[in-house]
Amino acid sequence: MNARAISKSPALALVLALAAGVLSAAAQGAAGPAPSPLRNEPRAAALVTAFEAKLNLEGLDLSNTFTLVQKKEGESDRVLRIRIYRRDSADSFTLIFQFPDSEKGKGYWRSKDDLYLYLPGTREFVYRNRKDDVGSTDVRTDLFGSSRLLDQYWASYSGQAAVAKWDCDVVRLDAKKLDVSFPLQKWYLRRTDGLPVKVENFSASGTLLRTTYYVDYQKLGADKYIFTKLLAVNDLEKGQRTFITNEGISTERIADYVFSKAFLEEQSR
Amino acid sequence: MNRFASVAFRNVFRNGKRSFTLGINYAIVSFILVLLFSFSRGAASTISSSLARATAGHITVSGRFASEGKVFGGLKRKDDIARIARETLGEDAKVIARYQLQSTVYYKGLSKRLAFLGIDATADAGLRGQLAFSEGGWEDWAADPNGLALPADLAEYFGLSLGDEVVVSTRTRFGAFNTGLLKLRGIWKTDNFFLRGQALVAFPFLRDLDLASPDAASTVFVYFPEAKDLAARRDRLSEALASAGFEVSKPKTDSEAIAAVSSASAKYEADEEGRDRIMLKLATLDEVLGLVRNVLAAVNAVGGLVAAVMLFVIAVSVFINLRMSVNERLREIGTMRALGFQAGGVTALFVAESVALALVFSGGGALLGAAAAGAVRGLLRFPPGGNLGIFLEGGRLALLPKPLDMAAIVLAVSLFAALFSYFPARRGGRIRPVEALTRTF
Repeated sequence: MNARAISKSPALALVLALAAGVLSAAAQGAAGPAPSPLRNEPRAAALVTAFEAKLNLEGLDLSNTFTLVQKKEGESDRVLRIRIYRRDSADSFTLIFQFPDSEKGKGYWRSKDDLYLYLPGTREFVYRNRKDDVGSTDVRTDLFGSSRLLDQYWASYSGQAAVAKWDCDVVRLDAKKLDVSFPLQKWYLRRTDGLPVKVENFSASGTLLRTTYYVDYQKLGADKYIFTKLLAVNDLEKGQRTFITNEGISTERIADYVFSKAFLEEQSR
Repeated sequence: MNRFASVAFRNVFRNGKRSFTLGINYAIVSFILVLLFSFSRGAASTISSSLARATAGHITVSGRFASEGKVFGGLKRKDDIARIARETLGEDAKVIARYQLQSTVYYKGLSKRLAFLGIDATADAGLRGQLAFSEGGWEDWAADPNGLALPADLAEYFGLSLGDEVVVSTRTRFGAFNTGLLKLRGIWKTDNFFLRGQALVAFPFLRDLDLASPDAASTVFVYFPEAKDLAARRDRLSEALASAGFEVSKPKTDSEAIAAVSSASAKYEADEEGRDRIMLKLATLDEVLGLVRNVLAAVNAVGGLVAAVMLFVIAVSVFINLRMSVNERLREIGTMRALGFQAGGVTALFVAESVALALVFSGGGALLGAAAAGAVRGLLRFPPGGNLGIFLEGGRLALLPKPLDMAAIVLAVSLFAALFSYFPARRGGRIRPVEALTRTF
C-alpha cells in the first residue's frame, strides 16, 4: 500500500472527519491540570480495570500487521509497515519493521519492563525506554503491549462526554510519580462496552500534547478486543498525525523463540 | 672571527642563482611553520577566551546526584556550593550558576530542538557584552521571567518577531513531558562561537521546566580576576566541598573535562549504591582546553611532518650544492691550505656559508610569514557562522606570530643546514693543497 493510496482511502477520510467532529465535541470532563488526588476513585479504577481486562490479551498469542501512515503538513506521507507478535501472559512482544526498505530488519523486543531496539546495520541491541516512539512517529511502543495503568496512575472520574456518536465516561489519570511520559491523561471510555475511543495526553503543566483516537476494534474471543484503526494526533505540531490500520490478525499459538533477540537477528538476514 | 664570518656571508652570494634557489626553499619552510604556529597560538587563545566567556568557568563545577534509587545529571545545593566557593577562594571569586536543557520549540507548525541556557541576568551579566541585539535588548529580556532571547538565525528560521509567544516542550529529568510558554524579548548576534545556537532564558524558568528542585543547577562556574594557579585553587575548593558532605572528584581525562562543561540535564539512571549523595566534578579551564591543545598539537605535528619532508628534499639539495661548490672552488681551497688554513678551517668556512644562507632566507621567510599573518588578521573578515567560526575573534582569524617561535624556527633551519653541509664541507677541507691546486673540475 503506498502513501498516495492511503491518503485517498475512504477509511482515512472517515477518521479525519471523526477527528474533526471530536475536536468540536463539547467535553464535559474537567479541563486543565488539578492537584493529584493521591488515591483511586473506585468507580474510575473499576472502569480502567474493565477496559484493560478487555484489551490485555492474557491467554492469547497474537500476530498482526500494522500499517502506519504519518502525515505532516507540507511533507509527503511517510508509511511504515510492522509485523508484531504479542504474548501478554509473558508481558512480551516482538516487533519487526517490514517497510520501507530503509527500516527493514529493524525491530523491538520487549520482555516485561525491558525494551530493546535491534539495529540490523550495526547488528546491535540498544536498550530503550519502553515509552519509545516507533520509527519517529506519534505512536509509542507501549501501545502494542499490555498495560497496567493503575500501577503508575491515580484514577479519578471526570464526568461524561460525547465523542463523535458515542457517550463516554471520562477517567482522569494522574501520575503517581513523574517517571511516566504523560503526567496527566484523560481516557474517554464508551458507555456501551467500556472500550476507550479517545485518549488525551498532557504535559506536567497541563498542555495537551497528543490525542489518540481508537476508531475501530475487532473482537478476538471471550470479551477480548484489539483495535483495528487508530489515529494519533500530535497536538503541539499542527497538522502532524499518524494513522494506523491493523490487518492480518491471528490468534494462533506463536513459537516461543519468536520472543527472543535471536529471532530479531534472524529476521534481519 | 668577524672577518671569517664576513667572508662566509660574502661567499653566500658568489653563485647567486644557486644560492637563491636553495634559499627560497629555506624561506618557504620558515614561512609555512610561522603561519602554522601563529594559527595554533591564535586558536588556543581564541578558544580559551571564547569558552571562558561562554560555557566554562576558570573552575567549572558539574556533577550528578543520587536520590531515591536514581542518579540524575546536574547539581543540588547550588547555593551551598557558591557560598563555600566564595568563603574558600575569596570574595574576588565570582560564582555563577547555570541551567542547561535541550528542548523543542513549537511555533506555527514549525518545530526545532534547541539548546537552552538558563542564566541569572543580574549575576551573569558577562554575557551581555558579547551579544549584539538587533531587536529588543538585554533589559527587556531580563525583566520578563518568561522572556526568550534568540540568535538571529533561529528567530529567522521560525519567522519570529518581538513579542511572539512560542511553546517549549521537554522530556524532563524524571521522564515526564513538561511544557512552557516563552515570549521573544530579544534577537541577537555574537562573534563567540560557543554561544551560537543557544536560546537564552531565565534560570528559574528552565529549572522549573525540568521539574527540578529550587536548589538545582546544571553547572556552577567560578571566575577569578586572573586565570592563574587554577589547579591549586581547585584543590582548595575540592577539600572544602568534601568537608561539607559532597563527593568530589576531578576529571581523569580531557574528554571528561569537556563533558563537565557541556553537561545538560540527562535522563536518570538506576543507582547501584542505593544511598543519596551529590557527586561533584571540578574541572579547571586548563583541563577543559586540554583536548583543544591536543588537537592543535596534532595540527602542529602534521605541519612539522610536512616541513620535515621539505627539509629532507632541501638536505639532498644542500649536499649536492656543496659538493659542486667544493669541486668548483678547488683552487681556492688549495690556496687557503697553502696559506696555512687547517682542514677544520676550510670545513668551518663552507659550513658557515651554508648557515649564513639558511639564516638570511629562513629569517626572511619567517618575517614574511609574520607579515602575512598580520595581513590576514587585519584585512580579512569572515562570517561568524562559517566553518572557521571557532577560530574567529571579532570576525577575524586570530593568527598570533610570536618572536620566540620565529627565532626557534630560524635556529632549527640553520642547525639543519649546518648538519647537512658538514659532511661535504669536511670532504673539501680534507683535500691536500697540492691535490687541490693541481686537480681540475
